[in-house]
Amino acid sequence: MRGLPAARATMGAVREVLVRVAGLVFAAAYAAFIVSVYARQPRTVQQLAGGVAASVGAYRVDPVNFQEGLRFFRNDQFPEARAAFERADPARQDAEAQFYIAYSYYRQGWGHVYRDDTLYRQGLEVVDRAIARAPGGRLVVADPTLQMHTADELRAELQRGLVAELSDFNPMKVLEPRK
Amino acid sequence: MTRPLPAAREAFLLPALFLTVAGAGGLRISPAGGGLSFVPPPLITLVLAVLLLGVMARAGLLIPSGLLGDHRTGLENASGTVVVLSLFAASAQLFTCLTPDAGVLRLVFNLFFLFLLWNTLAAQPDRTRLLRSLVVVFGWAYVVRYVALAALADPQAGWTRRLLTVLLEGATSGPIEGEATAPLAGYVAFATLALYMIGLVLLPRALPPGTVAIVAARAPDVVE
Repeated sequence: MRGLPAARATMGAVREVLVRVAGLVFAAAYAAFIVSVYARQPRTVQQLAGGVAASVGAYRVDPVNFQEGLRFFRNDQFPEARAAFERADPARQDAEAQFYIAYSYYRQGWGHVYRDDTLYRQGLEVVDRAIARAPGGRLVVADPTLQMHTADELRAELQRGLVAELSDFNPMKVLEPRK
Repeated sequence: MTRPLPAAREAFLLPALFLTVAGAGGLRISPAGGGLSFVPPPLITLVLAVLLLGVMARAGLLIPSGLLGDHRTGLENASGTVVVLSLFAASAQLFTCLTPDAGVLRLVFNLFFLFLLWNTLAAQPDRTRLLRSLVVVFGWAYVVRYVALAALADPQAGWTRRLLTVLLEGATSGPIEGEATAPLAGYVAFATLALYMIGLVLLPRALPPGTVAIVAARAPDVVE
């Protein structure tokens, strides 16, 4: 019986250690979350919630809207495709959806004799986001209807479109196909 | 000597409160469309936070030996460090929350905080008086920022705007520009301020002098 108070005291001490360790882990995780929110700068509540879900691996794009986006994209209906992809990925956390949005800017801005700088710039911004969301920064989209399958190719193509070069005046460039 | 804090309060509750304040303090909600943005603490708020922690330590509201020291274990010191760091972050972001984002008013608010804290530091108030003083200072800043300036910027504010315009007439050489804020921003700022004050009340307190004398007489090694 005399050992009972001693055992209780030991259990109390162990419990206190556990509480403090758990508190430290909780505080570190919470602080990291706050810092990540300030770094990511979500613009809407959906983006904020999506960021939280993505950080715990629970974020999923809406498959119906994604498929609708793909259908619009393949029909060259680019603003409609972007709207559908934005609905599918409201938190802008899915690298593939962001890749298609960037690709839609490229295709919409591409012309035989003229590239739309505004659309290319928007595309570049989105493809950078896609690369940032991809694991290890490497994004490959195995879609046979595309001519560029990696975010790096798309990024380079968009960058090339924004730079004025002597080769832009080459008349043969008019024959270049859209990728 | 301080009253020992329950482990859960020191390890969970206080960091949770102060980190929430640190996170919410920089939240800005656009009056048009409700878009979010998160403002990191400007440098001046870091200076103000250091000054505020100094005032708290001087007044006995923040007792460093109650959170850190050789008499505590390594784990306890780690918990105490988290409380102090989160209190610092919360203080800096509370100033960010209560200060206008730009313009002359931002400078006026920062100077106001700076001089008030300096004055409080010189006055050496006790814990209770400092808590009351902080409620008044932060409460005043909240009312000006989220009620008065928001009303001045809101063309729909009606009689509130007219009243403020009449009150301020002649006080300045030109019209005072308000700062538009989303209605939700005022509620978030109020909750942030309330959480901060609750956190301050929950910080470790000094034992009453009589208790220290009894402990000193019965167990002098504890006091050492």
